[in-house]
Amino acid sequence: MNSLRIARTALRARPAAIKAPLQRRGYAEAVSDKIKLSLALPHQSMYKSTDVVQVNIPAESGEMGILANHVPSIEQLKPGLIEVIEESGGSKQFFLSGGFAIVQPNSSLSINAVEGYALEDFSAEAVRSQIAEAQKIAGGSGSEQDIAEAKIELEVLESLQAALK
Amino acid sequence: MAFAWKASGLTYNKYLSVAARVVRRSLKDDKRLAAERRGEMELRFAKWNGGKQGENKSLAEANAASMAEAGSHSSS
Repeated sequence: MNSLRIARTALRARPAAIKAPLQRRGYAEAVSDKIKLSLALPHQSMYKSTDVVQVNIPAESGEMGILANHVPSIEQLKPGLIEVIEESGGSKQFFLSGGFAIVQPNSSLSINAVEGYALEDFSAEAVRSQIAEAQKIAGGSGSEQDIAEAKIELEVLESLQAALK
Repeated sequence: MAFAWKASGLTYNKYLSVAARVVRRSLKDDKRLAAERRGEMELRFAKWNGGKQGENKSLAEANAASMAEAGSHSSS
């Protein structure tokens, strides 16, 4: 009996509760033109639900720019450069080794990758010497798997070299 | 097939680890030394059968062998 009364008051209270959020203009709605970015590596999280303006990602299906209220989607990332345009207007560039980007319905974007570093952390010389080495293995007479690995390395290194220029 | 490495029997996990390894090797020296230790993996496993522990094998070697087998199946 007592629980029934609670249920009835809850029923009566609900219409007001539904109406209230529509009229109230909170802080969260006022900044809804931003997207919450979480960029996580297994050993470090570079962004933790940080408000940013735009994120450009190299998806397997093509380069994408993601703004607030983007349609929810899951994209596999190519090894490549992601660009984060921050609230202050500045932009940061990171090279990710490949992973997934998940656009969630509430304007939040989660990017997971294995390795990711700012562009200035890379050495152009190391990239050049590795390209030469990988090309030798890819054109050599190793096992099918070794050649496939060398071709993956070449794909990453060429993307990295293009980004460093 | 969309990805060439798949035809050679490589898994997505292997693809990611190769890509991550090459990114780590491309870093400037100070960061590279700290990062390269993350790529090391020395897991070993043994299969138990009839209450007895089987041979203790390296996971990396077992994975490489199974990928080589998968590659030879798909290409033949």
